[in-house]
Amino acid sequence: MLEIKNLHARIVDDGTEIIRGLNLTVKAGEVAAIMGPNGSGKSTLSYILAGREDYEVTEGDILYNGQSILEMDPAERATSGIFLAFQYPMEIPGVATMEFLKVAMNEQRKARGEEPLKIPEFLKRVKDAAASLNMDMAMLKRPLNVGFSGGEKKRAEILQMKLLEPNLCVLDETDSGLDIDALKIVSDGVNALRSPDRAIVIITHYQRLLQHIEPDTVHVLYRGQVIKSGDKSLALDLEANGYAGVIGQAA
Amino acid sequence: MPAVQDTIDRVRKIDVDQYKYGFQTEIAMDKAPKGLSEDIIRFISAKKDEPSWMLEWRLEAYRRWVTLDEPKWARVHYPKIDFQDLYYYAAPKSTPGPTSLSDVDPELLRVYEKLGIPLKEQEILAGVQKTDASELEEPSDNVYKSGRVAVDAVFDSVSVVTTFKKELAQAGVIFCSISEAIREHPELVKKYLGSVVPTSDNFYATLNSAVFTDGSFVFVPKGVRCPMELSTYFRMNEKNTGQFERTLIIAEEGAYVSYLEGCTAPQRDENQLHAAVVELIALDDAEIKYSTVQNWYPGDAEGKGGIYNFVTKRGDCRGHRSKISWTQVETGSAITWKYPSCILRGDDSSGEFYSIAVSNGYQQVDSGTKMIHLGKNTSSRIISKGIAAGLSQNTYRGQVSAHRKATNARNFTNCDSLLIGDQCGAHTVPYMEAKNATAKFEHEATTSKISEDQKFYVMQRGIPEEEAIALIVNGFVKDVIQQLPMEFAVEAQKLIGISLEGSVG
Amino acid sequence: MNIHTTPQRTPAETALIDAFSDRLSLLPGDGTVMLKRDDAIEAIKSGLPTRRIESWHYTDLRRLLASVPDFDPAAAAKAIAPIVEGSAVLPVLNGVSSTKLPTVDGVAVQRLSEKLTDGSAAPGLDPYGTDDAIGALNTAFVADGYFVDISDGTELDKPIELQNLQAGGQTHVRLGVRVGAGAKAVIVERQAGEGAALVSSVSQLLLGEGADVTWLIVQEQPDTATHLAQFKAHLGKNAKLTLFVMNAGGKLVRQEIVVKTTGEGADFTLRGINLLAGDTHTDVTMVLDHAVPHTASTEVIRNVVTGKARGIFQGRINVHQYAQKTNAKMACNTLLLSDDGEFSTKPELEIFADDVVCGHGATVTEIDHSHLFYLMARGIDEKTARGLLVKAFVAEVIEELDDEAIVEALEARLDGWFVAHG
Repeated sequence: MLEIKNLHARIVDDGTEIIRGLNLTVKAGEVAAIMGPNGSGKSTLSYILAGREDYEVTEGDILYNGQSILEMDPAERATSGIFLAFQYPMEIPGVATMEFLKVAMNEQRKARGEEPLKIPEFLKRVKDAAASLNMDMAMLKRPLNVGFSGGEKKRAEILQMKLLEPNLCVLDETDSGLDIDALKIVSDGVNALRSPDRAIVIITHYQRLLQHIEPDTVHVLYRGQVIKSGDKSLALDLEANGYAGVIGQAA
Repeated sequence: MPAVQDTIDRVRKIDVDQYKYGFQTEIAMDKAPKGLSEDIIRFISAKKDEPSWMLEWRLEAYRRWVTLDEPKWARVHYPKIDFQDLYYYAAPKSTPGPTSLSDVDPELLRVYEKLGIPLKEQEILAGVQKTDASELEEPSDNVYKSGRVAVDAVFDSVSVVTTFKKELAQAGVIFCSISEAIREHPELVKKYLGSVVPTSDNFYATLNSAVFTDGSFVFVPKGVRCPMELSTYFRMNEKNTGQFERTLIIAEEGAYVSYLEGCTAPQRDENQLHAAVVELIALDDAEIKYSTVQNWYPGDAEGKGGIYNFVTKRGDCRGHRSKISWTQVETGSAITWKYPSCILRGDDSSGEFYSIAVSNGYQQVDSGTKMIHLGKNTSSRIISKGIAAGLSQNTYRGQVSAHRKATNARNFTNCDSLLIGDQCGAHTVPYMEAKNATAKFEHEATTSKISEDQKFYVMQRGIPEEEAIALIVNGFVKDVIQQLPMEFAVEAQKLIGISLEGSVG
Repeated sequence: MNIHTTPQRTPAETALIDAFSDRLSLLPGDGTVMLKRDDAIEAIKSGLPTRRIESWHYTDLRRLLASVPDFDPAAAAKAIAPIVEGSAVLPVLNGVSSTKLPTVDGVAVQRLSEKLTDGSAAPGLDPYGTDDAIGALNTAFVADGYFVDISDGTELDKPIELQNLQAGGQTHVRLGVRVGAGAKAVIVERQAGEGAALVSSVSQLLLGEGADVTWLIVQEQPDTATHLAQFKAHLGKNAKLTLFVMNAGGKLVRQEIVVKTTGEGADFTLRGINLLAGDTHTDVTMVLDHAVPHTASTEVIRNVVTGKARGIFQGRINVHQYAQKTNAKMACNTLLLSDDGEFSTKPELEIFADDVVCGHGATVTEIDHSHLFYLMARGIDEKTARGLLVKAFVAEVIEELDDEAIVEALEARLDGWFVAHG
């Protein structure tokens, strides 16, 4: 589903190269974990997948369902089914969360040639999704992410993911800022989305989240490259022995 | 915000600088000769069949006006106006003054229909109004079409019809054109006209006092809550004609009224002058809510044409516990010079000013408010949102002052500006003057552009760039939009979207 | 018949114009300087600014400057101890610089009278903008002062204190400082004296690339003096200026601050305290131009108004069209402690670039009653509690200057004011 080939990318502003020849393949139905120490390029990778203009791809390609997405803008990538759960979701004053959800869901439908949702159907879907994440509907009447706690923001991200039904989910440090109860709820939410035709990429520093969402593959990112890939035991090994060993082998 | 999708769709449908209300209507007009003199003022006064005291009042203002210079302090630039090159009176021959609905020239009715303001009186049936409206349901898109509002339709220099007069009269409310009020209710007009904005107030107000042609008059007697929204719809049609409207609203003790004002003009290459005066008077425990959606023709993409809008609006909270609230959505005009203000004279009185000013193309906006705290325990609140795009200049200018005796005066001001593009300017010029130790003033202002982070976040959810920006802008102005009556709010949101059309990317 | 007559001159205007004729032969300057003096007096002849001039809206100089004292050749001001011990002191006494000056490594000092005589001070005499009344007054009459040059890379371990002291009459002084690339210095500008004086003082600061300067203006004129001052600075690439202004005296005071960031990465900080008592009229007016991309500024002004004092802060931040990525923040907070006092503030933003973050906030309040109650509930009497809160309100600004010797010195000035006026 996702194929990253020899990707090189740098920051537009100052030319710093962050991704240096990264290769990664994620198949439909797969849950892939990308782990790595701080500064290894994990969050940058998520932004590049979503099409952030602050980064420039200088070499290589990103194929999604066999098609290069490099020329697509963020909205086009989103309507083609790529969803990024942000590490730090933006606060947007004055924009009611419900209204935002409605517009975003209808954009997805429009891209698929479907009619906009009728209000009662929309409300039903949001209510069901919110209930499954233990979210209060009152929260959704507030402006988008404004005044939400860290945990509430992360839950709101997963809620959006559920409602937009993407094919490729990229979760950037979704576990940060979550207490154990919230972590459980969020993980259950993600697990419920596992399906044979959907791929999930989990970007994380710690193994903690992976206890709740079991990955099929684990990839270690270091200095903008995948330096080691394996199954879930690799995550346990990292947890027990730290990154130093893996980095040492690669060097 | 149900309007968002619609805003975008409408924006897409419209080519660059297609002002929706720019059509012109061919109607036979009765005009005064060009230019301004005592004779012209006598002509206007005679046309209106005015009593002699009114003519004297006008002439006094005129004699003062000739000694005045145009104010220069606002951040607006325009070629000198030749006041002798304008028509000061133009009225449709067929309907030279206010009349009943059945007598209005059908051509005029069609004009208002086209503007989305059907001049008809729909029955207000008890119980059929929407009750359990979900916040996500689309309300009817036009306040006038809902038929729940009384309209005074002013076409160039005259009011052509005022609807629902009978029903309002039953409640004791007088709603008519100012010309009619001068003839029918001289005691009220004499008592209140010029009592808030004196004839000597400023260059444009003085000019207006001399030559005003029509406008609305509202009187809500003691204890009466006006049973429906009142509205005036101003249309400037005739070429080279200035519109000088005069509106006077009085709410007696305990009365309440909500008043809306809308305005449009045809698209022309020449600039046109609009110099209005609005006076509001609230006695003890009275409340006046005054909303404006100003959509005069802004000029074309090259900055040619458009209305010069020089307006003096002032409310006097004369009574204790009285309240005056101004809400404005300013999207039109080539030049806007407008500072709806409150004089907080009565103890415990309060004033509010909520404003959205959108400028694009070559528009210049210099707008804001004055909150003058005179009485004890008075409070005021200012929320101003300026959005500048294109090559426009958008200035907030406001004054808050507490006088010696204004014990416990309170003000909160928030003015935020948003810049779209790097060729426009946003300016904030607040004056705060405290002469009382118990006064408490708070002012905050910010200027920024739409954050890239916000835009990226919204686009990541599949919403295209223009729509993402419209969504964020609508969020930015929400505090003010909420102050408008619901149907007006929808209209205003659409208007903002259309005004910013072409400013992205 | 010509109906447009020039308004009648005020006694102060007449006195200034007459004084210029009297003093002309005594004023140093080459041809260029003298021409600039002529232009300046012409500007004064066209009238002192009134409230109709927007930048003088709250200080109608024409009305407020009721009279002007004569020059007093007998006035004898004495140098005073610097606020930070060990500072190199450069005194100007009654408008005259000293010939005996301390020597500091890397610092060259020249008497301004010499630079006027040889004409090298001429370029600095030009007015800024159209309403520069203080600049005009000073240019017409300035006779002396200093020009200080701090060479590239010099890092001073002790402050330089420029003292402008008067004992009545008129004094017109100019203080120019150039700080070379990478140099670092603390400069104190003392403005004080006694008697019914008219003082005009213009300071000019030029910061080279990467220079780092803290400049403190400490104004403690007697309540009989008119103090018209101007501080102008240009900030080069990556230069950093922290300007601290304390006004704690004077009858009629106008302190103008005109700052321009001319190099990318420049950073300007303004911290101001206005302690207003009696019937002083004190006006601080700042114009800050962000003229290039990537520059930052913050301004915090705290005012305490007692008695019949009248205070003004006008702050205008101009962000030019190409000055993208500007970050500018301004706050002006006032404690109005007397019903006879007043404070007016006008914080303006003029923004022509879109990729900026700019904001300002202003408040006028009395003492927070809950704070007062809290202190009183701990057994502190009301007067003491009020004093503590008011002092804390302004001291916050001082404590931000992270040089202990300076913080102590300024707190001592603050204490002095509170003892006299508390």
